[in-house]
Amino acid sequence: MAKTKGYPEALETKLRDRYMYGDDSHPEFTDSVEKISMSIPHMCYQCGTCTASCPSAPRSSYRIRKFVRRVVLGLENEALTDPDLWLCTTCYSCTDRCPRDIAPTDVIMAMRNLAFKRDIIPVNFLKTVQAIYTTGHGVPNNDVNRAARVKLGMDADPPTTHTYKEFIPGIQKILDYYKLKANADRIVKEREG
Amino acid sequence: MEAKHKYAFYLGCIAPNRYPGSEAAAIKTSRKLGIELVPLKGASCCPAPGAFGSIDLNVWYAMAARNLVLAEQMKMDIALLCNGCYKSIWEVNHKLKHHDELRDGVNEVLKTIDMEYKGSINVYHLAELMYDDKIVGPAKIRDSVTNPLTGARIAVHYGCHLIKPRKDREFEKTEILNTENPTWMEELVAALGATPVEYRQKMMCCGAGGGVRGYDIVHALDIANEKLINLKEANVDALTDICPFCQLQFDRGQIEIKEKFGVEYNLPVLHFCELLGLAQGMSPQDLALDLHGISCEPFLQKVL
Repeated sequence: MAKTKGYPEALETKLRDRYMYGDDSHPEFTDSVEKISMSIPHMCYQCGTCTASCPSAPRSSYRIRKFVRRVVLGLENEALTDPDLWLCTTCYSCTDRCPRDIAPTDVIMAMRNLAFKRDIIPVNFLKTVQAIYTTGHGVPNNDVNRAARVKLGMDADPPTTHTYKEFIPGIQKILDYYKLKANADRIVKEREG
Repeated sequence: MEAKHKYAFYLGCIAPNRYPGSEAAAIKTSRKLGIELVPLKGASCCPAPGAFGSIDLNVWYAMAARNLVLAEQMKMDIALLCNGCYKSIWEVNHKLKHHDELRDGVNEVLKTIDMEYKGSINVYHLAELMYDDKIVGPAKIRDSVTNPLTGARIAVHYGCHLIKPRKDREFEKTEILNTENPTWMEELVAALGATPVEYRQKMMCCGAGGGVRGYDIVHALDIANEKLINLKEANVDALTDICPFCQLQFDRGQIEIKEKFGVEYNLPVLHFCELLGLAQGMSPQDLALDLHGISCEPFLQKVL
């Protein structure tokens, strides 16, 4: 939260100081992340092995160590509103190498779950949900591929929900149980009209 | 001949719907090695661990559990051919077996569709079964080869989600637990008569996972591009993978890299099952290699 530094007001509104204040911190955020991730970010001693192992770090401002620190300090807004949260490829190199036995990848996933509750989510994730709701597949079949399958002597559609469509209502029930399709539709519509 | 080992064959999305040759190859090559792959009828997307795991892990657990229950009803272990699917199907199975609270939560949802997760089956990646000499093993693969891929320099992309995070994984063969510098896939490549080639940053991610390919394609391609630069330095004829999503990223990704970065590699990318198919005498037509974004021709001329 910005605090005054005594500059002229026109400048004050543009600046933010670098301090962390007590009311920036939300300990319940730390608890939620630990619960969802089933991991122990509070054990982090900030060695940076995670960032050093990260394929996204050399080509962006994404720093997994920084995100873990934000979790420990309860800096919910800072973490969940940072667009870099979505640059983790979930390669699990950091998790493999963490000397404190933390799973930083799962910590990121937990934060993404919490961001989604605030409608913070890139639309491509939601489009996968919509595709699965309709077809059962995140990457559904298409005509070129159907023709190729037939040429291979296979059925045009694989023996999945594509062939056995009677399973699709069950999938829809699961997604509706969590209101996932309704939320996906609502957010995609807000973004794309 | 009755196959010695039977598995419910979980297909996922990208193999059957983008690279059907790898599905065909998996079924045919496995049969020659004593494995029968039985269709897992009504299976859905695993669901995509990056997309669903990011949105709501509870949905990911429940959706993966539905696929597991289908195999439980067949009383068969699952075999699959995709690292991403392995993460969802194996890992959710593992988590539900060990966390009562999670399992109860999932079963509450599954009850609404008259299903119950029991935890009665195991999940395997075909690559691990191919390497396990109690099931197949490199020696048996070597014996099945009728068209050795002699002279071809082939690099391996292991991908991430089969072997990482290591601390959760359980493999019969402890070699697979080596996530820093594994060589078990190279042994399988050598069993086909090809020359396995090492390259810099072999264990780096393809860049597609975690929803990044959809969120920021240039970022995702930049990661793949770094690997392609290293592969070019190693002068390889082809790259092999055990994950159709990595394959999509490297194969179709090369076309996108050409458009966005202006560099061209023309490196053929083949799933290990496709390679095995070629080595067992399947033709490029049997494998629908023409569906690949990058032509496999130069590689095929070398090995056929």
